[in-house]
Amino acid sequence: MSARPDLVPSVPSRRWRIVRAATASVLLAIVALVLTACIGTTGSNLVTFDAYAAGPADVPPDTPTRGLSFVNGRGWSITLTRATLRIGAVYLNRSVPVSGGQERECFLPGVYVAQVLEGRDFDVLSPELQPFPARGSGTEDFAVTGEVWLTGGRVDALEDSTVIASVAGTATRGDESLRFEGTITIGSNRRAERTDPARPGANPLCAERIVTPIPVALTPRNTGALVVRVDPRAWFANVELGELEPVSPDSDLRIIPDDSSNQPATNLYRGLRAASGVYSFEWIP
Amino acid sequence: MRARGIANEVEDFINDSLHQTINRPGPALSPRRRVFVVPIAAALLLARGARADEPPPSADPPASAQEPAPDPAPTPGDADGSGAKQEPGAGEPTEKNEDVTVTVRGRALVPSRGVSDFNLRVGELSRVPRQNAADLLKLAPGILLTNKGGDGHAEQVFLRGFDAREGQDIEFTAAGVPINEAGNLHGNGYADLHFIIPELVESLRVVEGPFDPRQGNFAVAGSAAYELGLARRGLTAKYTTGSFGTNRMLLTWGPTRESSHTFGGVELFDTSGFGMNRSARRGSTMGQYEGRLGSSGSYRIGGQAYTSHFKSAGVVRADDVESGRIGFYDTYDRRQGGDSSRYSVWGDVETKTGDVLLKQQVFFIMRDMRLRENFTGFLLDVQHPQQNPHPQRGDLLDLHVDSATVGARGSARWRTKAFGETQELELGYFARADRTASTQHRIEAGTDVPYLTETDLDSRLGNVGMYGDAGIRPVRWLTVRGGVRGDLFTFDVLDRCAQKTARQPSPANPPGDQSCLSQQDFGRYREPIERRGTASIAVLPRASILFGPFTGFTASVSAGRGVRSIDPVYINQDLETPFASVEAGDLGVSYARGIGDTELMVRSVFFRTHVDRDLIFSETAGRATLADGTTRTGWAFAVRATGPWFDQAANVTLVRSVFDDTHLLVPYVPDVVVRSDSAVHHELPWRPGGETLTGALAAGITYVGRRALPFGQRSDEIFTVDGSASVAWRNFEVALVATNLLDRRYRLSEFNFASDFRAAGQPTLVPARHFTAGAPRGVFLTLTMTLGGS
Repeated sequence: MSARPDLVPSVPSRRWRIVRAATASVLLAIVALVLTACIGTTGSNLVTFDAYAAGPADVPPDTPTRGLSFVNGRGWSITLTRATLRIGAVYLNRSVPVSGGQERECFLPGVYVAQVLEGRDFDVLSPELQPFPARGSGTEDFAVTGEVWLTGGRVDALEDSTVIASVAGTATRGDESLRFEGTITIGSNRRAERTDPARPGANPLCAERIVTPIPVALTPRNTGALVVRVDPRAWFANVELGELEPVSPDSDLRIIPDDSSNQPATNLYRGLRAASGVYSFEWIP
Repeated sequence: MRARGIANEVEDFINDSLHQTINRPGPALSPRRRVFVVPIAAALLLARGARADEPPPSADPPASAQEPAPDPAPTPGDADGSGAKQEPGAGEPTEKNEDVTVTVRGRALVPSRGVSDFNLRVGELSRVPRQNAADLLKLAPGILLTNKGGDGHAEQVFLRGFDAREGQDIEFTAAGVPINEAGNLHGNGYADLHFIIPELVESLRVVEGPFDPRQGNFAVAGSAAYELGLARRGLTAKYTTGSFGTNRMLLTWGPTRESSHTFGGVELFDTSGFGMNRSARRGSTMGQYEGRLGSSGSYRIGGQAYTSHFKSAGVVRADDVESGRIGFYDTYDRRQGGDSSRYSVWGDVETKTGDVLLKQQVFFIMRDMRLRENFTGFLLDVQHPQQNPHPQRGDLLDLHVDSATVGARGSARWRTKAFGETQELELGYFARADRTASTQHRIEAGTDVPYLTETDLDSRLGNVGMYGDAGIRPVRWLTVRGGVRGDLFTFDVLDRCAQKTARQPSPANPPGDQSCLSQQDFGRYREPIERRGTASIAVLPRASILFGPFTGFTASVSAGRGVRSIDPVYINQDLETPFASVEAGDLGVSYARGIGDTELMVRSVFFRTHVDRDLIFSETAGRATLADGTTRTGWAFAVRATGPWFDQAANVTLVRSVFDDTHLLVPYVPDVVVRSDSAVHHELPWRPGGETLTGALAAGITYVGRRALPFGQRSDEIFTVDGSASVAWRNFEVALVATNLLDRRYRLSEFNFASDFRAAGQPTLVPARHFTAGAPRGVFLTLTMTLGGS
């Protein structure tokens, strides 16, 4: 049965021209789609990078052997001969905590842009870069807040005997001179008293182990490295070493207790957890 | 040869009869042959019902086989619209003006909506290995199926750049009965197809877009309608055994004197699954009876029952697999899995009164499901101030949905002649009520007890829709088809856990670890419940314009709007627009032709869709959550060639899906999907016992390009080959099936999100790659025996 004449172009060449034009248009559209279908991004990017921690950048390289000398806010001329810090992890996130927010979750999934998960003890008297055991990872997003996790185990563990910080040195003020030592752990010895029965979880131990918010302004990338600098001078900013008792009547050695039983212990711990002046983040290309 | 000749004539007669008048000069039949051919044709047509074998997007609505259809419809081999196949020698009438009156029973086909309307006959492609009825969707272009939740978890469907998740963006029906679950907490519109026994699927209609006014709620990316039927008559027993401790038993029964729509089937399935924690057990039964109603009508009553219990491996982190901390097919949490059941009954009537074809269906569904999934390990149980101090207790979520659905649909289709062509108008309605109880708890690791109630909803959802659909054909080569649909959605949601936190709780009545509080800020009392209700109407215009066919070519332009009702969890009192809407359009051309013994069907279509508020999977919520608007642009190509000894279908889809505001890619959506289904079958040269020995080979090949993942990542490619070989002799058949023949280790689903499975010392809070493993090679042996039929 033949096709209806009014539906069939009478000139074959004209029909073929139409077919060719239509085919070319379709092929062009397909090529355009092929080229665009497999490109593009969902935004951001996953990155990995090296991570380091170090002491202050403004001290000479031989500081660990010579000691770090400074005068604190209480007038003590202190020479730190030992200052180590256990950093359990480092995180960067894209949001700033709400000002005045007293109650906070220890972490909130969805806001983090970088992490360095495996920690170690760092000599924070040394300005040399000391690598974390494993590379960091993150997304290529702008970070505005940093967190330093001072923990030896899980951040929400109910007990942790890991020494987070260890210090030793000498101090003089006027004719008063002493040696001091101290270690800090963050376990049940730092658990806050429950003052509000309606909010028993308001001050969780994990919050004691996280130093935040540390201001940062960087974007993690695949090239470069993250450096956390720790200035132990700031730990002692308000430590009144004269309130420490000597270990024996004839000794000049004073031990800083690992609790909050006196002013030096409390303020050293506060200095360790100060979000400003102690820790700083930088990105080196 | 003589028998074959009569068979061809019968086949031609049926094909022609489905589409053209019976009470008019018919196909060329000699009086002597008519005696044989007409009754056989009627019987065969009864046996297979209204054949939906990949018709082209015909400009002409296929007539009900029951009614004298005065207007011929073009068929794949139709050059002139006469409806006659162009078989050499077949079109030579010997007695032109002799009337033949035959009453042929069957159901009316739904008019085509253009190039994106795929009426998929399974046919010989049933030999291609398929895990379940959802796999049949792959016959349509652009479909990718994944499963992150185990063998009883609904398949996640990707279609034309949509992540339709577990059915939320595709309207699914089986025998006209809705499958999408309104109000399912895991995903509104969740559609678990595992209750469908694949052997009882006769055909599948996939409309890739909201172009048909009959499409209702959830038809955002499109719709898929399973037609049930059993071609193999008699009593058939099938047993499959093979890899992963898999055993499947199937019994089907189709009385030889009844139509193919009268059948019964029961399936039992048991597997240990590959790798860890993937065992599954299920049982399913389906039955339907089709009977005559008066002189020109028919009715169907059916029922099904399905229940399953399954385990799930969930996701694993890629870095843990690379470091050897966990195996590719392992699991972090063996408690994952679930239960699923579905029981339903339905009945429908189709009859013709004068020029009007009437349809009516009612259905009732009971559904129950439970999912236990852990995507994030130990991450989400952060310490809240009101809670007693606790460590992370684990993120395993335990989701339960219990629902009952009752509904009805009906239509009246009127046909008349005007301008020398057939004009049509259909008016229809749809009504559905759902009552759904949904809970989601978090389960503590170690003790396996719930420690937190996240959601507890009791929802009553209503959907009443009506539509008008006209088919106007001013001239023979132009058909305008379309109409308007209106849907009313009502929500009455009782939130039994409406208050979860309180600022400054009462010291005298501290809430402690309670999930659903009876106090609000500053300790003021309130009931923990809250009822929310709202309603909204969606008006959905839809239209298609079809040009042709011209020497086998038919062009079409379609546009339409669809909706997906919003998840009850997002309902607020008197929220004005409790649905997401999609606007879609496409432009395509198809070519259908009979070339010798081969039917060829080729389609090419460009499409564009826009969704005003999309759903994106959230690993922390464990379900899809609302996102911004998205737009998709793409092209799909499909070809199917069916010959006397082969059947080949292939399709390619390219698509680009972006967010409207940022123009960044929509994650998880595949932008390149290629699929091929092939089957060859032929008599073998040996005749044991004097009986014919028939051999068949089949293969299914899938390629999925690197999908966009969150944070600028791309997934791995997926390339799998499945194959089968079978031999049939008399009433027996043996088949060897291999899935993932090349034994490629591939990732079926991939995600980028934060999780903490405690492989590292501290929580991993930045996104990392996770995946669910695809199945390794599996080999299965199937034995089939049919008694008392064919």
